[in-house]
Order: sequence, then structure tokens, then C-alpha cells
Amino acid sequence: MAIENLHDFLTDYFTANHCGILENENGKVTIQLTDEMDELIMNRPFYWHYIKQIGQQGQPMKVTFITNPDRRDEQGEWVHFGSPRLHQIFNTLGQQGKITRQFEQVDTAMQRSPLIPWLVINLKIIYRGKHKKDELLSYGLQLINGTLVSPMMDKLIKLKLHTGIPDFCYTITPLIRYKSGYQRIIRYVEKYLNTKDYTWAKESWEHLYEEGKLLEYFYKDVSTDGEKQEQLKQSLSEIEKRFRPNISIDIVNGGIFYLSQQTSNTISSNG
Amino acid sequence: MNIQLNKDSEFIEEFETALNHDGPFSSWDLFQMSYLSSQATLTTEFTGLIAPKHLPHVEFLPHQLDCAEQIVEEMNGRGLLADEVGLGKTIEAGLILKEYMIRGLVKKALILVPASLVNQWVLELTQKFYIPAVSQGKRPVWDQNKVIVSSMDMAKRSPHKEKILDQEYDFVLIDEAHKLKNHKTKNYEFVRALRKKYCLLLTATPVQNKLSDIFNLVSILKPGHLGSYEDFTANFGRDRNNLFNDSHLKQLIQKVMVRNRRGDTKVDWTERKVQTVSIEFSEEEQEAYNRLTAITRDASTFSSITLTRELCSSREACYLSIKKMLSQDTEIPNRQAYEDFLKQIEQLPHHAKADKVIELLKDSDEKFIIFTEYRASQLYLQWYLQQHGISSVPYRGGFKRGKKDWMKQLFENHAQVLIATEAGGEGINLQFCNNMINYDLPWNPMRLEQRIGRIHRFGQQHDVNIYNFAVKNTMEEHVLSLLYEKIHLFERVVGNLDAILAELEINDVEQEIQTIFTESETEGEAKIKLDNLSSVISLTQERINSKEDWNGNRESS
Repeated sequence: MAIENLHDFLTDYFTANHCGILENENGKVTIQLTDEMDELIMNRPFYWHYIKQIGQQGQPMKVTFITNPDRRDEQGEWVHFGSPRLHQIFNTLGQQGKITRQFEQVDTAMQRSPLIPWLVINLKIIYRGKHKKDELLSYGLQLINGTLVSPMMDKLIKLKLHTGIPDFCYTITPLIRYKSGYQRIIRYVEKYLNTKDYTWAKESWEHLYEEGKLLEYFYKDVSTDGEKQEQLKQSLSEIEKRFRPNISIDIVNGGIFYLSQQTSNTISSNG
Repeated sequence: MNIQLNKDSEFIEEFETALNHDGPFSSWDLFQMSYLSSQATLTTEFTGLIAPKHLPHVEFLPHQLDCAEQIVEEMNGRGLLADEVGLGKTIEAGLILKEYMIRGLVKKALILVPASLVNQWVLELTQKFYIPAVSQGKRPVWDQNKVIVSSMDMAKRSPHKEKILDQEYDFVLIDEAHKLKNHKTKNYEFVRALRKKYCLLLTATPVQNKLSDIFNLVSILKPGHLGSYEDFTANFGRDRNNLFNDSHLKQLIQKVMVRNRRGDTKVDWTERKVQTVSIEFSEEEQEAYNRLTAITRDASTFSSITLTRELCSSREACYLSIKKMLSQDTEIPNRQAYEDFLKQIEQLPHHAKADKVIELLKDSDEKFIIFTEYRASQLYLQWYLQQHGISSVPYRGGFKRGKKDWMKQLFENHAQVLIATEAGGEGINLQFCNNMINYDLPWNPMRLEQRIGRIHRFGQQHDVNIYNFAVKNTMEEHVLSLLYEKIHLFERVVGNLDAILAELEINDVEQEIQTIFTESETEGEAKIKLDNLSSVISLTQERINSKEDWNGNRESS
């Protein structure tokens, strides 16, 4: 999974946020924002505050985005992978797409069918030392028998999902509580981290040690001067911040997914 | 191994609350897109730059990318950025800051620059790098997570100083860092005391006078890297030439400093062919010039110097200025003389320089850029060229972006000549043209460099021809032959002139020249003063060049 087509991504984003697409051709799209989206991304809080104060209907804006670089000089806002607009949208998604509950839309042929609960957690691991990198992981935990599947998102995108439960389906109550399911996933991530190569962290420690030695040498003749000792302390803390290796686990988003017995089996078996 | 692990503890609480309250839940589409956006902002590798992919509208030169990579990867974000003037230190610094911001390592940054450059930095960072930088303003808010650009003078004053020293910055940048060479100054102590993670010092002249200059700069970035001060002087002495003679010191310095010189850049710079075109005024013109000199000498002011300069450009420019002066200023002692003079220049034939332009252009089908200092001359030239069947388009700094692009297109595809009054700022790049006429010369050599930079830049395929026009027996000739040519302004491919001027504490060459002309009683006196100025510059230039024998090959560790 990746954003392969930025234009489609943008259009999908506004459609998913109930905005009207007024025009859309050759890498240029014009969108009629809703009130909510205008407030969220157009950065004009005074206008909306004023409108609400006088109890009027606001006029949400129309915006044109251009993704085709050949047309970037035309009227509209050029959006590319570095543009502030795209990153603003990414930021809104951090909240808008954080927590979900989905049901697989199965054709039950009027048979009563059970749906099995899965806890899905997408998370980012951030490795920081002298340098920094991230890793994105996606896990699914079956909350009845504890099967763990990764990468889960790749399986989910093939399914038909919706926030409402389909007719004739019923959900099975999880045997594993959400919180302990979550903790299981985190323990699994920790185990995974134990298998990684830590040359980078070793190098960072060594570097920290070397620079620390230089600092102590630099201040060696002033060990009785209080002010200089403060300077030394500050410098030491600065190199700690810069080099001391650490790892963070940040949750991107997560949800409960109720999947059919058959889908659950398929996912578990090649997972 | 001992590695700190930080876990997210908020998510699961929020998650359980949502499930207990039956929502709110996001749609499947938004959930997927949120995952995709995390993926799009991922930095999957420890090394390499990702910022250039985020800045598709900026064309980085190879040495700029190398520099940023070296500072980030090898120097871990603390370095002395000491490229020669004109190689893009600001761009390199912006690229480094952007890289750290994308990687999520910098949120709060402080950029300290000379007061006159604050706005330029803000513009560059916001427009070129999409870094939401703000200038300090009157009532600065220091304690927010922002990128703030401030003047050093303001930042080091109370009450700002105390507030700034309370902050913890992820990134601190000091422009014109050679001002920190003395560790006993307030500036130095202030910068040293700033709490900072990453730190860039920018200067074109890392060693100005004493070898200890570099010791002091490095001690801000990495105290102890060069040992203690006593070790340093014991090992390397005080002679600044040791920086280049002592290979051990050189190696140490290269671990904290990037210095590109134009010759080291991988860019294949084509040659600059500079030609002085000496022009003789017609008899009537020379007479008018002499008369104007006499009139203005009676009551010499800066504006009267401008009038004579204008006459060297076009009678139109001069005429309009005199007219304006007469209508605005009622207390001109020699009003009558000016009024008579206006009648005289009405009678003048075509300007000798304009005729020279025609002579140069008429046998050529190549494209030319003509730079003039005056709007009136621009219009006149456009009309005069048209009279001779030569197509031209005008260009001014004040044009809106769209119009600028349009003029550029017209020039590229249709017109033979572009007549411009201004080159500075975010000007256009015209590397498809390789002939330039400096119809009249700016008195600020840096502006001249900007002009030439429009065509002599990355992407230029041909040698560049520069024609400098100067009218004989006028102030133009004096400035050109006594100053610009003597200091080899044109031969040098973006030289270290600003370093020289900084060392001589000349802030404004234009003003310097103007003062020379205004305060000199005779032409001879002006000539001698100009000559002195150029000698001082040349001497300093020689001294600076001799002290730097840096072979430029940076060592990679």
C-alpha cells in the first residue's frame, strides 16, 4: 500500500469528507468545501466565528488543486508531496482516521452468520540516535483465538467494509479484552525489536561517549569554576539529546473489524 | 544494550472510550487514508536526504546537496557552513533545516541574522522551503514551537535575551558568524549560552584575522574538538596561515566545516568574456555633460550626482529628473541654469550609447539582455530598437510574477532583446541567453554580480559575453577603469568581494562612490580617491587570497 496517485488521493479525501467535486480533469480538480472542511483547512477562524455569532449560514469556499506539474502556472494551488496543503491534510487525517469499527459486508444468502472480532493496530516505530528512521507496521489480532496477522492492512483493503452491520449477521463477543489484546500486540512488537540489528545504537552510544570525553577535557582546568561547570553540564545534556539512542512506538490508528468466518480463516492461514 | 523505549499510552484509552460510547468512528476510507499518509511521511532510511523530494520546484546544485548531506550525516547537524559567496549557503542551510523538520527532529528553531536580512530569510524559508518561519516582530513570542527569524541585535538585548536563554532550541542558525570570532564579546557569549541541539554557523570568511577565530567558532559547535585554548595555541600557533599549512589542523577543521569554492563545485561553469566598450559622446553631448557638471558642482548634492549619471544613460532619464526636481524643490539656487540646460538637452541627438547598442545588435541574430539603471532609458531604448527593426521586451522587478514569466517567454520565443532595469531578488533565470550589455553600470558591485548571475548560471551551455558600456571622459569611465577593472571585478567568477568589503568595513560601495564624487572639488580629486579605494580593495584581496590555500577537497570520514 502507498499513495500511488496523489490526484486520486486528494479527490478521495474530499469525497470522503462529503465535499462536492465540481470539475476534475487532467490533474486539476475544483472542490466545493463543506462548512466543516472550510473550518478545518481554510484557516479563517474569524469568519466562522463571526458567522456563528450572527446566526447566519456561512459560505464555504471553492478551491482548485493542481497535481499535474505541467499545469502548475494555471489558476489554483499546486499540490505535491512536499506542499504544505498536503501535509495539512495528512495532519487532519491523524485525527479523522484514528479510530474505527468496521463490518465486513458479506452476502449471507439470508443465513444467520457470525462475524469474528479483530483488533487492528497500525503503528510507527521511530528509531533515533545519531540519525533517525521510521518503520510502519500493521497488526491484526483475532480476539477469539489470539491469532496474530501482519501486515494486516494489506489483507483488509481487499475486503468490502462498512460501519454498519449487514443484515442477518451477528457479532461474536471478544474473548480477549481490547486492552489485553493491545498489550499482546505491543509485546509482540517488543519481541520483534529484539531481533533487529542495533549497530546504529551502538555507534550512537560510542559517539556520545567520545564527545563527552572531549567536553570533559575542554573543561578540565576549570573544575572549581562554578559557572564553567554549568556550561559543561549544559553541553553534556546537549550531546545526550543529540546522540542518546531511543525507540518510540507511536500508534497511527486502530479499530475493531468484524470479519466473516471464512475471511478470518483465510487471513489466519496465510498470515 | 540499553536503549530507552517510549510507548504510546494515550491511544488505548481513547480507543476504549470510543468503543464504550459507540463512537465516533471514522469511515473506512479515512482510516485507510490516515494509514497511507503515515506511510507517505515515513523516513525509511537513516541516511540520505528526503527534503529534495519535498521541494520539486527548487533545483539544487550537486555541491549544495553534498553539503547538506555531509552536515546531516557526518557532522550530525553541527557545522560551520563556509562556502564562498554565491554558492548558496542560505539554500544549503534551508535544506538542512527542512530535512530535520521532515524527519521530525526539529520543531523549535531560532535563526539569528543581521537586521537587514531578516525579511529575506523569512521569504526564502517560507517560499522556497515551505518552512513556516516568522520574523520576530515587535512583540516576539519566544516560547512557542516555531521557526523564528530575528536580528542578533534584538535577540541579545533584554528582555528578549533572558527569555531566549530559557528556551530549548532544536536548531540554531547564525548567519554572518564571523562576527562571533572573538570569544570575549557579548554576541559570542550569548550564542554559546543558547541551549541548542543542532547548530549551523554561516560565514564566507571563517578565518578573518587570527587563527583563534576558527578556534572560537568551532568551540561553539563542538567544544573540545580542537582541544583547550592552551593546547590549540601550543600545537598550532597563532598564525592564520597554519590553518592551511598544518595538515593535522586542516583535517580536524574539515570534520566540522564545509567550504566549497567555485572551482570545487561539480558545475561546469562556462567562461565569462568581459569586454569594455568605450563610447565617445558626440560634441553636443560632451558639451552638455560638461555644462551639467559645472551646474551641479555649484550646489553639489547626492541628487546632482545622479543627474550626471543619468545623462550618461539617456537624455530622457536626465530630463525627467531635472523636471521633477524643479517642480518639487522651489529653493534651487541655480534654477535658471537648470532651465536653460533643459532646453539644451532637448536639442541633443541620439544618445551615443544607444547607437552603440544598434551597432552591436544589427549584425547578430543572438539574444541579448540589456541592463539599465533607469526606467526612462529603458523606454527610450525600447523605442529606439524598434525604430531599427529590433524586437525587444521590457522587464522590471516590480512586474507581477505572471507578467515576469510572460516576458521571459516572449523573450525566449520571440524577441531578440530583453531590456531590464532590475536583476535582484527572485529574478528570472535566462540561461538560454549568453550576451549581456551593461548599458550603464550599477555602483553596487553586488548588483552587477546578480545581473551576470541571471545568465551565467547552472545550465548555461555557452561562454557568456558581457559588454560593459562606459562613456569616455565621464564619471562612468572613471568608475569602470579606476575601480571595477582594477579590482578585477569581472574576471572573478563570484569572488570574495563581500568578505573584502566586510573586512574593510565598507557597507555600501554605492554610497562610497557617491561620496567621492560629491565631496571632490575637481575631477582629478575624484579620480585619485577612486584610485585609492581600488588600491585598498586590491591589497586586502591579495592578502585574503594568499592566506587561503585550501585545496577544497573535503575529507569524508
